[in-house]
Amino acid sequence: MIDDQAVRRLLQSALPPTTDLEPARDLWPAIARWRPARSEWPWLDLGVAAAVVLVLSLMPSWLWLLAYHL
Amino acid sequence: MDDPDEQLLERFVHGDQDAFESLFRQFEVEVYRWIVRIVRDSAAAEDVLVESFWRAYCGRARFDPSRSFGAWMRRIATNAALDQLRAARRRAQWSGAEPAAPAQASPDPGLRAAVAFAFRRLPPKMQAVAVLALVEERPLAEIAAALDLPVGTVKSRLSRANARLRMELGHLGIRP
Repeated sequence: MIDDQAVRRLLQSALPPTTDLEPARDLWPAIARWRPARSEWPWLDLGVAAAVVLVLSLMPSWLWLLAYHL
Repeated sequence: MDDPDEQLLERFVHGDQDAFESLFRQFEVEVYRWIVRIVRDSAAAEDVLVESFWRAYCGRARFDPSRSFGAWMRRIATNAALDQLRAARRRAQWSGAEPAAPAQASPDPGLRAAVAFAFRRLPPKMQAVAVLALVEERPLAEIAAALDLPVGTVKSRLSRANARLRMELGHLGIRP
């Protein structure tokens, strides 16, 4: 029967400990590519929202029309 | 490694990308070495490193800047490394490219191949515990923190990994 120490020795001979390894290249560019793009203001959404607010302030009765379609 | 100052960590949590790059530069080697210990493949470890830092950036809002960034990063890297081991295992099963069991275990290179084969047959979580504890000789508390498990669970997992390895090695006819 193999004891725990024997298993340890066998594993250490088959899988030598890793020491002092470093990435072979600069990985920051890969991370920058993976990373989600900078959150930018959704200008189109803001424009539509502003237009809706403007229209509703000029013609409040359209609120019901808008509510009906939502 | 010393943890970075809390101001830098606060900036990272708020999405400051210069802070993120600064943390990456400070921790990349330490995290890479941790990942290599688990996946045992330097090229795969580079992919896991990228994946880990990306996960960290996505999950930055959950990080508490008063805690250790290194320990948090190691937990993320451990999970990413385990995912890599699982994916490699699935790929090997689907492609039918799982290495054949070495025919004979007695000559030294054959013995090493047989032991490596038996090791690769362990479930990924057992592989991680076995390699970190038995090969890399990392303290159980460190392994427990990286796996986000109590030390007792790590001990029992290590014990199961030992038993499973003994069984696999026995099947291969290895009885030192």
